[in-house]
Amino acid sequence: MRIKLTSIMVDEQDKATRFYTEILGFKKKHDIPVGEYRWITVTSPEGPDDLELVLEPNANPAARLFQEAMFSQGIPLAAFEVTDIGGEFARLTAQGVAFTRPPTKAGPVTLAVFADTCGNLIQLYQPV
Amino acid sequence: MLLRHEGFRRLCQARDRLREVGEPCPSIADVARDVRISPFHFIRQFEAAFGVTPHQFRIHTRLDLAKRLLAMGQYSVTDVCMEVGFSSLGSFSALFTRRLGETPSAYRRRVRAMSQVPGTIPAGLTPGCLTLMGGLPPRAFAKASRNFEEA
Repeated sequence: MRIKLTSIMVDEQDKATRFYTEILGFKKKHDIPVGEYRWITVTSPEGPDDLELVLEPNANPAARLFQEAMFSQGIPLAAFEVTDIGGEFARLTAQGVAFTRPPTKAGPVTLAVFADTCGNLIQLYQPV
Repeated sequence: MLLRHEGFRRLCQARDRLREVGEPCPSIADVARDVRISPFHFIRQFEAAFGVTPHQFRIHTRLDLAKRLLAMGQYSVTDVCMEVGFSSLGSFSALFTRRLGETPSAYRRRVRAMSQVPGTIPAGLTPGCLTLMGGLPPRAFAKASRNFEEA
């Protein structure tokens, strides 16, 4: 048993693909039409290449309620590790990304939180 | 852009207000005033947080709701148009067609054909987590693994 896929619900798959590739800098790996939606995955150019993040259509009303409630409560639904959190904060802010928390020390990490424009808050963290 | 506590909370409130479809429908400036952000900053901050302007968000929300109601099958296009807050059938149909590439009645026909159960939304329109992978073409994963091994 291996962890090869993880997923994030997005309100609109085109918008999500743009944000996760053009703004965050991930690489698109799959983009395959499936019925009304698409199977879209991205990987990080910093590796590992076989660990994919699925950009899932948030079409289920129950999932939408969950996503909106977590967002309104300020709770991130995914976390990505970075090696230069100050640099990422500056780079993403310059591209218009909205942060709800600037880089802040918290125990063993420095973390920051931003909106992914698709209904989620995402946490960046850098181990201290 | 940094949206701290109160500013962030106000944007979330505005999002809830923009989902409402009842009459009278508040203007974007009304919503901005209600959450005490200037219209200029409201539009800018909303777009940074949600990826669309407040106006686009309201349209998306209404069209999404319209799609769900049409997919259930028991409502007429006119009922759906009124239910999602449009007063003119012509402008609703034109907007729906422009955004989604088919008329409301064509959409209704097409998605109804996906379900045998009246009054329910066809399962294909509300996929559960990761169930989409079952619809991928044969060997989609085999190919991915092979590419990885070659890389």
